Order: sequence, then structure tokens, then C-alpha cells
Amino acid sequence: MADNGPVAAKRCDAGSLSSVSMETILALTELEDLERVYQQLCAEEKEVDSELERLVGQEGTIHTKMLALQRMGPNLQLIEGDASQLSGMITFTCSLAENVSRKVRQLDLAKTRLYNVIQRADDILDLKFCTDGVQTALRNEDYEQAAAHIHRYLSLDQSVIELSRQGEESSAVDASLLMLQDAEQKLKVIVAEKLDEAVAAVDLAQVERFFKIFPLLGLHQQGLDRFGQYLCSQLSSKAEENLLLASGGDLGEKRAPLVFADTLTLLLEGIARVVETHQPIVETYYGPGHLYTLITHLQQECDRQAQKIVDKFIQQRGYHNKFQVAQSNMMKSVPGEGIEPRELDPVLTEVTLMNARAELYLRFLRRRMLADFEVGDAQSVTQEHQQNTEKLLKHCLLSRTMQELIGYYIPMEEYYMRESVNKAVAMDTYEKGQLTSSMVDDCFYIVKKCISRALSSSSIDCLCAMINHANSVLESDFREVLYNKLRQGFPATTLQDIQRGVSSAVSLMQSSLQQGKFNTMGIESAEHAKAAFLVTLNNVEVCSENITTLKRNLENDCSKLFNQGAGSGEQAKIESCLSDLVDTSAKFKDLLQEGLTELNTTAIKPQVKPWISSFLSISHNIEEEEFNDYEANDPWVQQLIVNLEQLMAEFKTAQSPVIYDILTSLMTSLISIEMEKTVLKCSFSRLGGLQFDKELRSLVAYLTTVTTWTIRDKFARLTQMATILNLERVTEILDYWGPNSGPLTWRLTPAEVRQVLALRVDFRSEDIKRLRL
Amino acid sequence: MYFACDLCIPSSYKSGEYPVFLFSMSMEDYDYLFKIVLIGNAGVGKTCLVRRFTQGLFPPGQGATIGVDFMIKTVEIKGQKVKLQIWDTAGQERFRSITQSYYRSANALILTYDITCEDSFRCLPEWLREIEQYANNQVVTILVGNKIDLAEKREVLRQRAEDFAESQSMLYLETSAKESDNVERLFLDLACELIQEAKQNKLDNNDTAPMPGEGKTISYLSCCNLN
Repeated sequence: MADNGPVAAKRCDAGSLSSVSMETILALTELEDLERVYQQLCAEEKEVDSELERLVGQEGTIHTKMLALQRMGPNLQLIEGDASQLSGMITFTCSLAENVSRKVRQLDLAKTRLYNVIQRADDILDLKFCTDGVQTALRNEDYEQAAAHIHRYLSLDQSVIELSRQGEESSAVDASLLMLQDAEQKLKVIVAEKLDEAVAAVDLAQVERFFKIFPLLGLHQQGLDRFGQYLCSQLSSKAEENLLLASGGDLGEKRAPLVFADTLTLLLEGIARVVETHQPIVETYYGPGHLYTLITHLQQECDRQAQKIVDKFIQQRGYHNKFQVAQSNMMKSVPGEGIEPRELDPVLTEVTLMNARAELYLRFLRRRMLADFEVGDAQSVTQEHQQNTEKLLKHCLLSRTMQELIGYYIPMEEYYMRESVNKAVAMDTYEKGQLTSSMVDDCFYIVKKCISRALSSSSIDCLCAMINHANSVLESDFREVLYNKLRQGFPATTLQDIQRGVSSAVSLMQSSLQQGKFNTMGIESAEHAKAAFLVTLNNVEVCSENITTLKRNLENDCSKLFNQGAGSGEQAKIESCLSDLVDTSAKFKDLLQEGLTELNTTAIKPQVKPWISSFLSISHNIEEEEFNDYEANDPWVQQLIVNLEQLMAEFKTAQSPVIYDILTSLMTSLISIEMEKTVLKCSFSRLGGLQFDKELRSLVAYLTTVTTWTIRDKFARLTQMATILNLERVTEILDYWGPNSGPLTWRLTPAEVRQVLALRVDFRSEDIKRLRL
Repeated sequence: MYFACDLCIPSSYKSGEYPVFLFSMSMEDYDYLFKIVLIGNAGVGKTCLVRRFTQGLFPPGQGATIGVDFMIKTVEIKGQKVKLQIWDTAGQERFRSITQSYYRSANALILTYDITCEDSFRCLPEWLREIEQYANNQVVTILVGNKIDLAEKREVLRQRAEDFAESQSMLYLETSAKESDNVERLFLDLACELIQEAKQNKLDNNDTAPMPGEGKTISYLSCCNLN
């Protein structure tokens, strides 16, 4: 206990730093515990010592910092002085500024009031001046002057006038106001009367004079109404005159078939000219945005007159009548009874021209009205104006009438197209030396003509509808015609007879003679059917191409239309309709493929097969002597080549290059397959293999000259078979097989290689079996 | 009576907001392209149905359609991209000859009437005659009674329309373009049906050699026939 006393006391001073409290130490009784605590306390003492040393070490730096701070002392005092001085100055400036600005504000207020006073004084003076001016002007019949005074009065601030009336001179102001209002009413009446008089007298100068006065009196609407009426009456008389000329006049002229389109054009051009000439006046005197109102008036007259022209057109051309005949004829689908398509030609052209004129006119109006709104306020040509404009143009009677005309036009044009195509089919002729017959060119000429006419109407919907109909005619009607012709098939047997040459022809003649009649008709009609089939194949191929060309040309034509500003939605519509033509073109391609397959199976296969199988009758199990004999007199391949040449020569002259190419390709495939089958049925000696190799080489060399396709690939298997049949001994195959194959890719399986090896009579089957492939 | 395809997931509206030009379409990847033509009397809400579906809008005071309008929207059905070309036609008589030219190439026709307008319902046989005359015989026709939001003004009872549709073996659906009721379903169900038809045709054409991966069709078909 006594030992621990000082330590404990010291620890006590250190207080909280020690982890062992005094009480704990005092409570300790065991020596072990005491020692442990002692150790602990010693360690703590060391720590405290090092800490103390570190703190003492810092003393130097703290001292230097203190010195620096002491040196800064006086400076701080200086700064404080400056700062308070600055603050004083700012306060002073601030109050000064406030003083000044208060005065300025007061001045400003005073100035504004002064201006107002001057304004009002001016207004009152003006009022008086106007009152006097109006009287004199009215007396002098100087209506422009009077209207200018009234305009001045009307543009005065009404509240100012009210205020003035409350002032001292109220009675005087009241009197002049009354006088002004009186004069205003009087002037309005006079101007209206004068304008009516001028309208009645058809005095354009006077009409325009009074028309200009209306907006000054705040009567924009009335002025435009009256002016519109005047212009309408002018248009009306002119239009009626024109219509009378058109319907009664000499129809012998060149333009007679288009006389109603011309009359409509005159009307629309007349209105366009009126708009063009009067737009400046309206814009100058009425301000921008008022052209719409004037055009609304003009459009009413336009609708009336256009309706009259169209009515007359329908009546004189028998438009509805023709429509009904065409319509009922299409429903019954009985050809020949209805109206001649040719008779519809002029009326269809006239309708499309009329619609095109109307579209052009409406486009002109739209451009003018929107431009006029735009002058008023570029930002506010918004929705409302645009909607009003569109509503006026799209739903005006002219538009509706034209839509009706086009509604009748489409079925008639469809009728024209279907009937003309039927005719072209019925009158189909084929001239020797031509690849296609006349109906293909005729049919596409008609389709193109009809679509072009629809396009010339400038109506996108009309164009789309005709593209749809054209597509339908081509895809259903016309394709059906070609399909049926192909279905009659290619007369196989007779052709074979002819191809077999003189001997068979003789036998045919003999058999005919035996039957007691010489049947050349059979040969001739078969010849005819054969030519018809080949021509139809060409027709199908050209159709497919023509449709693609038609689509491309229409795309070009339409892009011109879009440059004139049709919307993107319209463009998408046309493109969608045109894209259907691509499908139709593909359908013709399918048909061509079908026809070619038919030709291949009926005309080529039955002929080529026996030629190839005659290979069987030529022994290839030969010795030196026979080989030399073959060398001198070719037993098989030369005849085959001659036969093939004869067969293809006919197709070469009768078919388009594209079809001829496909045919030769089909034929070479056929030959290679048949050859393979035949070779596997033969047996070969060493020299027989060599003979076959020679024969194959000649055949491939010949076929290479007649096709544009590469045929080496098709004959790869056969060439490899020839290689095998040419081996000296069985094991030689290993020089070409597996790792030794080099650039050669084997198309034969190991089993097939064995099969071919077995064809050699001199190869032993044990050797073949023993091979490791 | 309906066929439903609740698993149909409409792709975002963005894709169909603007008509896409067709030449660029061939570059795009889609599994199916179908032409749908809406027909029916003037004012029954054909344009509103199309705008609701393609743009998600219900424009009040829609003016009469002139000629035909054309919209495109691509939807995704069971992971397959289906491009719907929707032709919105004018109902007014004078545009009839334009409208008729679109029937032949249509994969589907949506014959629309207004449930608050007896007249538009009575005209349906006339429309069916038109379809008979101009459309191809494989066309899918669906009858739609629009404007069910105006239930208090209903003039054509649902049962009556359903009976009529059944007698003509058409599908029937009632919609509201305004409240967007059944609009998505109309077009998506139609797309489902058209895919089914297309697959059926394909199977008919080469029934000897079923394509690998066609097995999935069955689960798909069953999903469409759930209710």
C-alpha cells in the first residue's frame, strides 16, 4: 500500500487521463493485481511524458506566430479607421443619391402629367378642329377630308373625351361632340349611298374612292361587303357571258372539246386577277388580314358561277349518262355492249383539266390569304387563321363540285382502262421476229395514259385511286390472260417429232397418209401453240420489267408534283400505292418461273433425256482399237452437241436474252444430273475412262460457249467422276484424296468414290474395299 | 364472341406519330405489314379512331375527311414487329369511288357505325355489298360500334349489333375514341388475327415442309383464343 501511495497521488492529479481510478487502486489487495496496475500506470506515465515533450516542442512555433500577430496589431487599427471613414462616405452618397432620384422621379411624374395635359389639350383642340373641319368638308363634299376628321375623332381616347365633358367647358365640348356624332352618321349614310350609286353606275373610280373611305369610319366589314358585292356582280356578268358563248357558240373550233374547261379557266383566272389587282388597295386602306373577308365574298360568286358551268358541262356532255353506262357495264362485265372507250376520251380529259384548274386556283388563294395574314403578324398566322383558310377552301362549293366530278371520273377512267386493255388483248397480234406480241405494249400504253391523265388532274386522291385500279387490272385481269395462255402448255410431242429430224417427219407423213389424209394442220397448229407459248413467256417477262419502269417513271412525275408543294402525307399515300406495283411485278416474275418450269419439263427434259441415255448404248469397256475408232468417228458427244444446239437455237431466236439465259441454265442442270445418273449405269475400261473424260470436256466446252452463267460448278461432280475413271490403279486415288487434295474440293462422298471406282471393270473390288478414305 | 389478346404490347406512340415514307420502309425491319381500311358512314368517328390509336389524340370538332388519309403505326405482338398501314376513308358519298379503289389490297376492313345513330347501322348491309363487290375474299372484316361514351343517346342495342355481326360472321367490338375505350384492343386484336391468317396461309402453301420454329405458333394461338 505504501509503495503505491505517491503513484496513486500523482495519478489523481492526472485525473481523467488515467484508465485506473484512485478508488480501484485503493481497493486492490492482491499483489498480482497491484503489479498489473502498476505496469499499466507506468505505461501511461510514459505516454504522458512523450505527449508533454511534443507540446513543449511546439512552443517555438507558437511564439513566432504570437510575434507576427503582435506586429499586425497597429496595421489593424489603421484599417479599422479607414473602414469607418469609407462607411461614412457611403452613407452620405447614398442619402445624396436618394435625394436626387426623388427629385428626378418627381420631375418625371410632372413631365408625364404635362404630356397628358398637352395630349388632352391637343385632343380637345382636335375635337374642335374636327368638328369645324367635318362641317366644311361635308359642305364642300370633300368626303375624304371629312372621313379623315371622323377617323381622327374616332381614334381619340374615349376616356379623355369623357373627362373633357366634365371640365369647365363641358357644354362647348358636348356641343361639338354631338355635332361630330351627327356628322359621323351623316357621312356614313352619304358614303354608303355614294358607293351604292357608283356600284349601280359601274364607275370603278368612284367605287374605289368610297371603298377607301369606309375603313376611316371604322366600317371595314361594311366596306368589304359592298366592294365584294360590286366585284361579284362584275364577275357574274362576265361569267354568264362566257358561259353563253360556250354553250351556244360555234363548237367547230379546235378547243370545242375543252370548252367548259376553258370557260371555268376564264372564270377562275378572272377572280385571280381581281384578287391580284385589288389586294394592294385592301391592304393599304384596310390593313393586312382583310383579304380573307374579301375572298370569302368572291368565293361565293365563284361557287355560283362554277356550279353553273359544271351543270352545263354535265348536261351538254351527258356526263352522268356516260357514267351510268360505264358503271352498269362494269357491273355486268359484259363487253361490247357499253360505250366505246374512245368516246370517253375527250370528256375524261376535260374533267381532269377542270380539276387541275380548280386546284391551281385554290392553291393561289391559299398562298395569297396566308401571305396577307403573315404581313399582319408573322407569329399569329396561327391555327385559327390557317384553319379558317383551309375551311374556306376545302369546303367551298367549288371544291365539293370538283370532288363530285372526280368521283364520277374515276369509275369512268377505270372503265376506259379495263375496256381498252380487253380490246388490246382481243386484238393481240404477233409479228415474226418480234419477241413480244402487241398486247403488252398496247396494255402498258393504256395504263400509262390513264394514270398520266389522273395525274394531270392534280388530285392526289384521284391519282392514287387510278394507281390502285391500274394495279388491279394488271395483277388480276391482265395476269389472268397471260396465265391462261401459259396453262395451255407447250405442245411437247410434235416438237419432238420435228426435232428428231427428217426420219420422224417422214414417218409422221406416212402415218398421216395411211390414215388417208395429210394432216399438216396438226403440225401447223402445234407450231402455232408453241410460238404462242414462247411469246407469252416473253410477254410475262416484259410485263414484270414494264411495271417496274412504270413505277419509276411515276415516281419521277410525282416528285415534280411535290415540288409544287403537296404535303408529306400526300407523298406517303402515293408511295404506298406505288409500292403495290412492286408486288405485282414480283407476281409476274413468279408466273415467268412457272412457265419456264413448264417449258423445261415438257419441251427440254423429254428430249434431252433420251439423248443422254443413248450414252448407255456406247460401250466404254473398250480396247485400243475401238478407242482409235471412236477417235475417228465420234460415237456420241458430237451428235448430242448438235442436238442441243438445234434445240436451243429455237429458244435463242424466240426468247428474250433473260429467258434464254434461265433456260440454258435449267438445261445445263438437267444435263449434269442426267449424265451422272447415266454414267453410274455404265462400265468402263481404262481407255473407256479416257474416252469419257474427252467427251465430258467437249460437252463442258460447248456449254460454256452458250451460257453466260458459269457451268463449271454444275459439272464439278461429273468432272471428278471422270478423274476417278481415269486412274491407273485404285490406290492412285489417294494422290488426290484427303491431305493430297490440294485446291480440289471433293463433291463426291467416300461411298460415291467407291461406287465410281467400281465402274471400272479392271479394278478389283477387294482393292476398292481395302481403300481408306 | 371476341377474340382477345391481352398479351399484346403496344409499342410507344412515337413510332407511329408521323407517316413514314415507304421507300425507307423497306429498309426497316418488321415481321408483318398489314393494310387496314376503315369504312362506314360519314361522321361515325373513323378519323377519331385512327387518330386516337396512332397519335393518342381526340381532336374535337374534327372536320369531314377529304378523300383518304394515311397513317402508319408499328406495334409489337409477342415479340414480332407488325407494321399497320391504316387508311382512313371519307364517308361522304362523293368520295366513294376513291375509297373503293383501296378495298382490293386491304388485309382488313374496319366497318364502323355510330351506336347513337340508327341510320349508320341501317346502312351496314349496303357497305357489306360494297365489300362483297370490291374486296378480296380473304379480307378480315370487323364491325365496330363507336361512341359508347354517349351511352345515354344509344339507339342501337348491343345485342342487335352482335346478332347482326354474327349473322354476317364478322367480329364485333364497341369502342369510344373519346374515352379511348377498346381502341387499342381493336387494332391489336386485328393485328393478332391477321398474323394468324398469314401464318395459316403460309402453312397451306407449304404444308409438306413445316418451317423450323413454327412450333411457337401453337402457344401463340392458344393465347389468342383464351376468351
